[in-house]
Formats: sequence, C-alpha cells, structure tokens
Amino acid sequence: MSTLIDGLSLGVIYALIALGYTMVYGIAKMLNFAHGDIIMVGAYSVFATLALCGLAFPAILVAVIVCVLLGISVERVAYRPLRGASPLAVLITAIGVSYLLQSIAQLIFGAKPRTVELFSFTPIRIGNSTISGASLLTLGVCIVIMAALTLFVNRTKTGHAMLAVSEDRGAAQLMGINVNRIIMLTFAIGSALAAFASVFYLLYIPSVNPTLGSMPGIKAFTAAVIGGIGSIPGAMIGGVLLGLIETICLRVPALAPFTTSIEFGLLIVILLFKPTGLLGKRRREKV
Amino acid sequence: MRKQAKKLLSAALTIAMVAALMLSLVSCGDKYKPDSMIYIGASGPLTGEAASYGVSVQKGAQLAIDEINEAGGINGITFYFNMLDDQATATQAASNYDSLMDKGMQISIGAVTTDSCEAFAAKAVNDNLFYITPSASAASVIANRPNGYRICFSDPQQGEIAAEKIVEAGYSNVGVIYQSDNNYSKGIYDAFEAKMQELGKTFTARTFDQNSNKDFSSQMDVLKDCDVIFLPMYYTEAGLIASKAAEKGCNAVLFGSDGFDGIAGVLASNVTNTIQYITPFDADSADLTVKKFVDAYKAKYNETPDQFAADGYDAVMAIYEALKVANVTDAQMSADALTKAITAVLSSPDFSFTGATGTMTWSSDGVPTKVPQVKEITRG
Amino acid sequence: MSYFRKIAKNFKWKHYIVYIILAAVLLLSALLWQAGVMKRSTATMLNQIGYSIILAVSLNIVVGFLGELSLGHAGFMCAGAYLGTFLYNFLIAAIPSKLLCLCIAMLFGGVVAALLGMLVGLPALRLKGDYLAIVTLAFNEIIGNLCKNIKIFGGGMGLKNEQPYGYSLFIVTFVVVILTLIVLQNLIRSKHGRAITAIRDNEIAAKAMGINVTYYKLFAFTIAAFFAGIAGVLYGAAVSPVKYTNFTFNYSIEILVMVVLGGIGSINGSIIAAAFITYLNLTLTNQLSGDLAALKYLVYALILILVVIFNNAPAMRKYREKLDFKKLSDKLFKKKNSDIRDDSAAWDRIPTKIPMDELLSADLKTQNDSPDTSMPEDRSSHE
Repeated sequence: MSTLIDGLSLGVIYALIALGYTMVYGIAKMLNFAHGDIIMVGAYSVFATLALCGLAFPAILVAVIVCVLLGISVERVAYRPLRGASPLAVLITAIGVSYLLQSIAQLIFGAKPRTVELFSFTPIRIGNSTISGASLLTLGVCIVIMAALTLFVNRTKTGHAMLAVSEDRGAAQLMGINVNRIIMLTFAIGSALAAFASVFYLLYIPSVNPTLGSMPGIKAFTAAVIGGIGSIPGAMIGGVLLGLIETICLRVPALAPFTTSIEFGLLIVILLFKPTGLLGKRRREKV
Repeated sequence: MRKQAKKLLSAALTIAMVAALMLSLVSCGDKYKPDSMIYIGASGPLTGEAASYGVSVQKGAQLAIDEINEAGGINGITFYFNMLDDQATATQAASNYDSLMDKGMQISIGAVTTDSCEAFAAKAVNDNLFYITPSASAASVIANRPNGYRICFSDPQQGEIAAEKIVEAGYSNVGVIYQSDNNYSKGIYDAFEAKMQELGKTFTARTFDQNSNKDFSSQMDVLKDCDVIFLPMYYTEAGLIASKAAEKGCNAVLFGSDGFDGIAGVLASNVTNTIQYITPFDADSADLTVKKFVDAYKAKYNETPDQFAADGYDAVMAIYEALKVANVTDAQMSADALTKAITAVLSSPDFSFTGATGTMTWSSDGVPTKVPQVKEITRG
Repeated sequence: MSYFRKIAKNFKWKHYIVYIILAAVLLLSALLWQAGVMKRSTATMLNQIGYSIILAVSLNIVVGFLGELSLGHAGFMCAGAYLGTFLYNFLIAAIPSKLLCLCIAMLFGGVVAALLGMLVGLPALRLKGDYLAIVTLAFNEIIGNLCKNIKIFGGGMGLKNEQPYGYSLFIVTFVVVILTLIVLQNLIRSKHGRAITAIRDNEIAAKAMGINVTYYKLFAFTIAAFFAGIAGVLYGAAVSPVKYTNFTFNYSIEILVMVVLGGIGSINGSIIAAAFITYLNLTLTNQLSGDLAALKYLVYALILILVVIFNNAPAMRKYREKLDFKKLSDKLFKKKNSDIRDDSAAWDRIPTKIPMDELLSADLKTQNDSPDTSMPEDRSSHE
C-alpha cells in the first residue's frame, strides 16, 4: 500500500517534469536539456526565499515566478536565434545552458548541499502500513495541476493554438497564430511546471545542490519518451509508470543494484514494440 | 607555376603552424612559485556533485599553509599549496597529477575522493612522491605504496568499530542502509558485515545507489521497527534518511560513520531520533587544538569547518611537523628525497601528531592509529 | 618512373593534408619526448586528444553519415575500456611486451564493443530520431550499471590496470588515430559509405535503389562502436582504475558536442573540435584552481552557446560570410569566386541533402531576392 502511494507520488513528480519536456518538444520541436536545471533553479529560489522570510507560500510563488522568467529568457536568448537551424545545434545550446545554470548556481550558493524545510508532516497510519503526508499531498496537487493543464490545452483558445502550432507550424502561422508567442508561452508553462516539480521534489528530498536537476531530468525525459514524446497524457502515464517501477525495484534487495538497468531496459522493450512510445503518434513517411 | 608556389606556401604554413604549436607545448621554464617555497599539490572535486568535499579540504589546507607561512615556515622555507579540480573522476585526477608535477610539485596531500586518489597514487608511486590523503578512506589507496599515508580512518576500521559499539550497546533489532556503488559506504558495510558475523549477530540491510532517487521511503518501510539503524554514508544522505524516518514514525537510533559530521546542520525540525556517530572531529569540542582551528577557520571563511576541512588542515600540518622534525633546509629538495625524510619521521614510533582530528601515530604502511569517539545528538 | 610522375600529378594536397599534419605532430612530439623536453602533462594531453579524435570521428559515422542521433557512444568506450583492460592485465603476466599486449587488448576491446554496437543497431531498424537517441542513452546507462555489478571488474572500486602503459602511450594513440582516419575516410568514399549516406538522405528511396538498409544501418553502428571500443582500451592503458562513472551519458554528450561543433558530417571538423575541446577543458582546469574552478563550466558553456549560435543562427549568416575561411583564402590567393561550393570535391564530406537542404534553399533564395551586385564585378575583374 505505502509502496503504491510512494511510487505514485514519485511518478507524478516525474510526470510534471516530463510534461515540460514533452510540451516543449511538441511545440518547439527541440529537446530542452536544460529543463532539469530549471528545477534546480526553482529549488534554490525556494531555499533563498525561505532563508529571507521563512514563509512557505511566498517561497513557492517566488520559485514559480523565477522559473517562468528564466524559461522565457533562456528561450529568447539561446533558442530563438536558432529557430530554423538544425535540431542538433539547438540540442547543443541547451546543453550549454544547462552547464551555465549549474555553474552560476555553484558560484552563488556554493557546492554544499543546503537543507530546505518547507512543511513537516505527521505520518498517517492505516492498519499496518504508514503513509507519508508528503506523498498524499504531492499526489493530490499534481493530479489537480495535470487536470488543469489538460483542460487548458483542450478547452481554451490559446490551448488550441498550441495544438495547432505543434501540428503544423507553417499552417498555424498562416491562420494568424503568433508562433513566437505560443512558443514563449509553452516555455513559460513548462518552467512553471518545473517550479512545482521542484517544490514537491523538496518535500521528498529536502536538500538542494547545483546538480540536483540532472538525474530527475534524465529520468523524466525517459518517462516522456516511454509515453510518446509530444503527447501530454503520454508523459503522465510514462512518469507514473517509471516512478512505480523505480520504487518497487528499490524494495526488492535482489533487484535494487540493477534498478537503472531495469528502468532503461523496460524503455528499450517498450520502444521496440511501440516505436513511438505508448501514446505517440505514428507519422507516415513519404518519399 | 603559380599553383606550385601555392602548394609550397601552404606546406610551409602548415609546418610553421605545427612547429608553433609544438613549441608552445614544451616547457619554457615557467615558474609558478618562488624558489624558497615547497610546492604541495592536491587534486580534489571543486565542481560537480562531490564539490563540497574538495572545497572543504582545500579551505582547510590553505588555512594551514597560511598559518605556517605567517609563522615563518621552517628555516625560512615556506609552502605553496595548489589544488586542481578533478570532479571526483580518475581521468582528471591522473592528468592533474601530471600538470602538478610539471608545475614543480614536491609533496602532495593526494586526492580527496577514493577514485581520484587511486589514480593519483598509481602515478605517484612511480615518482616516489609523498602523499598523505586527508579523506580517501578505501584501504587500497595506500596499500603496498610506501609513499602513501592517510589522515582519516580507513573504511574497514570504521565498520569494525561500528559493529563493536552497536553490539556493546545491546541493541537487538539492527538495520543497515548503505550505498552500494559508493566505495566509502560499501567498504564500511563489508567490514561491518564480517564483524557482525564474527560476533554472531544478525541484521537487515537495504541499499541505494547514486542514480536511484534519494527518497528512501522504500528502505524505511522495511526498517522502521528497528532499534538502531547503521548508516555508513555522508551526512547529506543521512539527513534525508533521518527526515524520512521521522515521517514514517520510526524511533530507531541512527548510528553513523564519520561522514555524519555536519549532520546537525541538515536535520529537519521534525526529526526526534537520537543520532550517534563515530568521529575523529567535533567542531564544538573544548579541546584547545580543535578550538584554535575552528576559530581560525571561522575567522577566515565565515563558516563552521566540517570534517573534510579538518582533515585537509591536519594533512598539511602533519607534513609540516614531520619536516620540522627532519629539519629541512633546502626548499629545492626532490620529491624522492622529501618522501624519504617525511616517511622516516612519520613512521618512527616516538612521533605523534596532534591535530584537529585528534592525536595520531602512523605505522610504516601509512595507516593512522587514533582513538575513535562517538558523538551523540539528541533532539525533541 | 612515369608511374610516380602520374601519382605526383594527381596528388591532391587537400586529400592528404590531415595525415601530413597528424604525422608531423606525431613525429615532432615523439622526437621531443625522446629528447626529454616535453612536459608530462603535454604527453597526457596529447593522449587524451588522440582518443577524443577517435571517439568524435567514429561517432560522426553514426550522427553525420547515417544521420541517426546517438547519445550512447561512451557506453561502447566503457565496454572497450573494461574488457580491454581486463585482457591486458591477463596478458601482461604472460607476454613481456606492453605494446603487443595493448594491441591485442585493443582488438579484443574493439570487437566486443562492435558486438554491442550491433546490438544497439537492432532497435535502430525500427526506431528513428529522438526515440533511437533515448535508446542509445539507455544502453549507455545499462552497460555502466552492468559493469558496476560484475565482481571480476572490481565492482564499485573500478578495474585496476596492473601495469599502465606509461607516458609514451600518446605515440601509440596517434598511430591508431591515423589508422582510424585512413580506414574511416576510405570507408566513407567507398560503395558502403555512399550507401550509408543514401540511407541518411532518404531511407525509402535508398531501399528502392536496392540498398540493403538493415545491413548498412547495423554496419554503421558496428564500425562506430568498434573504434569507440579501441578508444576505451587506450583510455584504460592511461588511467587506472577504469571506472564506469567516467562513461555516463554526460560523456557521450561531450563527444556529441565535439561532433556538432566541428560540423556534422565533417571528419576534419571533428578532429579540430575534439582537439580544441580537450585542450580547452584541460587548460581551464589547470588555470582555474580553488574557488575559481566553478568558472570553468561557465566559460565552457558560454563558448559552446556562442559558437553554436554564431555557426547556426540564420540571423548570423551575414557575419558568417564575412568571416568565411574559404572565401578569405580565396581572396588571399585571388581565386575565382565561386558561389556554389563543390561539396563533392571535399575529401572528407559527401554531398548532403536532408540536413543541408534548409540552408541551401535559403541561400538560393537570398541570391534571387537580393542579387549581390559585387559578385559579377568580382568575377569579371579576375577573369
């Protein structure tokens, strides 16, 4: 029971990050390798605000604002000049941005991990198993955020515009959609999700260091691909699946050392049977 | 005709370019330090995930160097210290060793982390360069290397001490969490396991690794009813386990290795568990040497030193004390001659050194002997 | 005699200039090393540059010529390093010659890595683009994870090399670099190479032309992995212990950076970029010690971003053309100004279609829209 809850809540954190990857990929057609480091920046802004005023909610707000501004400015400075260039060039710039953010964080805050205490929870005991309050909160809030995002994309005009841009950028432009604005908005939403992910990540692991973002970043990227990159529900499913598998593997001593192999092995198997991920769209290839 | 001339020209240009490149690569007698100084080199992680350890050692060592140089050095000989960044990788540590040797390194405090120190030592043994590693604790780092010494406890030593202390205290239900891909954690655990078997006790062990998420709820679910949980690891992970224990309502005593030093600063406020750990260094200690070091460190860097800083400080101080006994007069001594001088002093039975991490003596294989203390933090 | 004259007549400098430069570097540095004037750190750096070149050039086969993104090149290097060093340790007890042991180990490490490469090539038959990229990344992590859990490979401690080769290893490395280049460049210009680029440009069309796509995809992955494995063995001969933590996907990305910075599909570019990045990394590490070390990645990142934007951004084209090395040299030698570059004459490139077509069509457009008036004048004045 508690395995399930913990796995699910880890999964929804992965899903939140994976959503950022998948949305940016779907609309800007690029792999944003710096996405993981935006989580790190979010975590540091929570840390800094907490150190200054000691209140949790302003800290979350500041994290969201900082991440959104950072996401937009990174897009403006590093990615927009490369629109129309080869996707690999953009990938390399994204890697550069990732290194840049990490080294700036180390220069400002130092290399030492810092402890961040947002809220403290009392454990809930149901029969024999204990469920942590943090897991339940994470699970609840993340589900709300994901539902809101799905509604936003499917029900609003801007959401439709985003779908249109991801379908065919040229046609969308002809229909009077401001593609630059939509891409900027996508980065803003992705970064806001990353900020929320950083807050929940801190509930799990209450410490922050400059390389905090890289591992969850790469795991979430894997999750996004499992679900079919570019697909919003796919990212959610992929994230939850990955979180569950990781938690279960870690609880079985014989499997624990091989957790990484199992996760990535599963990815390979899924992709071999469904080459575009679980919910990815299959594009027909023409000569 | 013109075409031929062009070919000739391009060939000449190429050769000139290559020659210029090669010339720039050859040493031109560049000087990094004055002649009256002895060059102490080191390699440690200053960036990347392990950066905090390297930065601490570097600060501690630099503090020691400054103190020695302000006091006038030995017979007018002062010291120069330089640590290059290796990101805790063997590759970079090996190339750092070469760079340092080219810059004129005569003595070394080795490398900070075990992987790096292994690579560093593999090269240092060929030059018979003395190194005394502040914090690389795997037994193999100085094994079979007469030029290698160590400041901290080795991993197996700690594992045995921990098993003895835990059995002495009479706990019945013992749990362990260790990091399976970390040499430090695994090294302590292996010795702990052997010692527990020897003492006829059983325990439950769980693992995690570098790439797994550091959430620990999986492990704590299994171990939450233990009386004591042994955590051979560094304080950052231990702090996370402690808050997870609190969250899961586990009241076990958390027993740690010397990597726990600094845990007080990262404990979440809801942690009520008693925390005990083996340590050679306690920043709150009333001991005069320790107090002097802590005050000087605070004055210089405006932060409390951790165990790595103390180890780095002691490594430099031990070299200094040994050279003082050997009464060196020549700052230009070769690495080989310095190694002979230092090891002769350090391994002699009547030499003992008192530093921030306690009073220690060395056997000729470079292993330190010092008294372990158990520090206890009680909360709530 | 006439045979040699014929060769001399057909001799094209630009086909052999790379070999000449590399051989000159090798000869000079070997002489300097023998004379004892070369610094050790230089020897180590040359060795690192050497195996970085092998890695970058072999990755370029997959990324530049087959046109598939691979994020797992370090995994093959890892396999080569572990198995090659393992065999080397085993052989060194029996055979006294280090060089011979190293050569056998290189072959063995290369073959094992090649087999793994074939395995990774299998999903490439079904997957494309980013999906394939993540699978190669997954393979990379799995190989590292397995090496960690194999007891005879030293587990978490890494595999120790009993007798590292020593500083003169860079000479061996550079010989291997030259051999690698000879093999790969000839391969690219051969029937096989053209088949591989045909698959890159249009897989369906290539299939229709009777090219065995399955075979050539596997072939490209296998060859690239073979050379990565050899680079791994060279690494293992220099650094002890060999440890899986050195070969994470971060390292794969570093190799990819070399390829992209040097120009996708350009062998010479990969060589220059590999040498440049390795040199930059080592110099920054040496110069920035202590607290400044964090600046290393700052500088590195800034250079990376600026170079990529300058080289690729559509808005920068004007400045790029001003600084175009080829045009400058053309001007210097008063060569006839030709706008359409003869790609097919470049020794290390194969005329491309897919990745280049955007740029090419854009170029044509600017010519049509705003005809550069200076161009015809230039032409007439030189004629």
